Amino acid sequence: MKAYKKEVQFTIWMTAAFILVGNVGLIFSIFPVDAMLFGFPVMYIVPILMGWFGVFLLTLVAGKIGNRIDDEIERENDTLGNADEAKEV
Amino acid sequence: MEQSWQLDNPILGLVVVGATFVLFYIVGFISNRQSKSAKELYVGGSNVGAITNGLAMAATYMSLATFLGITALILQLQVPFIMLWIQLILAIPLITIIYGTSLRRMGAFSPTHFIRDRYGTTASIIAALFMILVSIMYALGQMIGIAITFETLLGIPYITGLFIFGILIVGYITIGGMAGATNNAAIQMVIIALMFIVPLAAIMKAIGASGWYFPPLLYSDMVPAMMDALPSFFDYQFSPKWYFSIIPALTIGALGLPHLAMRVYTASSLKSARSAMVWFAFILGLVFSATYAMGFVGVFATTTQGVTISDADADKLTIILNMVYNPEWVTALVIAGAISAGLSTLSGNLLAIGALISQDIISTLKPNISQRLNLRIGFIAIFAGGIASILLAINPPAFLVVSILWAFGLAGVTNAPLIIVGVWWKEANKFGAIAASVIGGAIYIIVSPFVFPSIVLTGHGVTDGMGLSGAMLAVPISFILLIVVSYITNRMPGLSGKLTKQADIELIERIHGWKDIKAYRYNSTLGAGITVIVSAAVAIWALMPWGM
Repeated sequence: MKAYKKEVQFTIWMTAAFILVGNVGLIFSIFPVDAMLFGFPVMYIVPILMGWFGVFLLTLVAGKIGNRIDDEIERENDTLGNADEAKEV
Repeated sequence: MEQSWQLDNPILGLVVVGATFVLFYIVGFISNRQSKSAKELYVGGSNVGAITNGLAMAATYMSLATFLGITALILQLQVPFIMLWIQLILAIPLITIIYGTSLRRMGAFSPTHFIRDRYGTTASIIAALFMILVSIMYALGQMIGIAITFETLLGIPYITGLFIFGILIVGYITIGGMAGATNNAAIQMVIIALMFIVPLAAIMKAIGASGWYFPPLLYSDMVPAMMDALPSFFDYQFSPKWYFSIIPALTIGALGLPHLAMRVYTASSLKSARSAMVWFAFILGLVFSATYAMGFVGVFATTTQGVTISDADADKLTIILNMVYNPEWVTALVIAGAISAGLSTLSGNLLAIGALISQDIISTLKPNISQRLNLRIGFIAIFAGGIASILLAINPPAFLVVSILWAFGLAGVTNAPLIIVGVWWKEANKFGAIAASVIGGAIYIIVSPFVFPSIVLTGHGVTDGMGLSGAMLAVPISFILLIVVSYITNRMPGLSGKLTKQADIELIERIHGWKDIKAYRYNSTLGAGITVIVSAAVAIWALMPWGM
């Protein structure tokens, strides 16, 4: 049950995080900001930076957690196998 | 004054393009000697390393549009188009986490392979037909780009270039297969990055930008002059609704693109697929950011430096900037880079068509034909798909990116819901899948400006043409139909004999990595209900006036 819940929650939250980081332009279209950053308008450069480095960081996180959840599913499968063997005895 | 843009010394360009072709043919030939089975042909034996695969994913995705189409639309739409393009980087990460690893675990060749096992033959053939249309529309964009590039390179008429070079390229892909395509795509990604970013640095230096040594991000010293000359450049122009519509059309659309998903299945392991997504995000972010810089420089050059580019030449912006500011040999390299970009995407598209026809349609209808015949049909399908896209490109739409982005929406309507819901909800069944794909797809095609120009949602040409408005209506309808029709038909006793509930349940547990079956897993009625409510709200919003 634990690994299943983690898998579903990870997928939902990670998908939401990716969509958010890739669509910062949508946020600025609702809440416009009139400021400059690194010589560019904030509403121009922040979506570009988030769409590159933000997404890149999220892929690192998603890769790590995804691998860990696979291992947990594997472990739950193993305990299941042991339980079955125990029953058979 | 109208100026015609063309290389003074076409031999130079031809030599460079010819040399890259020879390289690709050799890599394709060596790699393809191992392609003895369908699995080798379409997913490279599922044995491709993370860096090669990450680079190949980026090259497959980064079509010729990077060199030609995007900069043209930045010239026309300015910042809104940049905002639209940014989220395309989400494609591979979202495919990987939402369903890519599950389908890799299943050993699927293509998304349709999953649809066949999950929903049965009829649904998979409908999905395959839509995916072939998607792949051809996508390949069409590349063909147009290739013909335009050769027009600029040699001054030969568009149609002549289209046929001669189109057939040459289709021949190369047919010979190469996926193993060749993957190795070549990785090489092509390096060529694309170098041929785009280094010449851009030279252009920025010529214009006087102090940050020329890192073009993707260091061009802020040109911002004040841009704001003086064209104060509206940074305006968002459109309402939040327009920006929202990007999510169903392109973010979800990319999840249904067969040639992208196929890249995930080529990974040697699930861990390797996840590392590939990291490489993909890094390299794609780099080149995408450079593309926005190129678009910015293009607008800057036309508004402040007296460079004139007619509407008809908009797609050639990148090449024209190189002609104006760089020596001819640099432009020749850029042209080789553009051709590489078209080639890698086109090979992904055509291989997807090959896999769809031979694996998903022929093998489904006639499961007993020999593997050799099946492989031969695959090669014929790859070639025929290429010829179809050449014929469609005879009368191209105004901007080459428009047909590509419209294809995203069609994939989002007809395929993405079937795959996403199919992987995560056991109740989804073939009646829901067929209803979603057929009705959703029909609505999307009807409200597009290509079939009935008077039935559109916004009346804003590019917004309707790129499928933004159509997908915002049709994608949620497709999700609703899939969930509601499945839910109802599962409860009709008369239909239970036609459904394969137990097999579906076993498949879903297995592709998520489970060895046992638990009723509580992937069975949330609440989750399905929330999806229906949110989808209904989005579809109603899409029907309300867009005010454009």
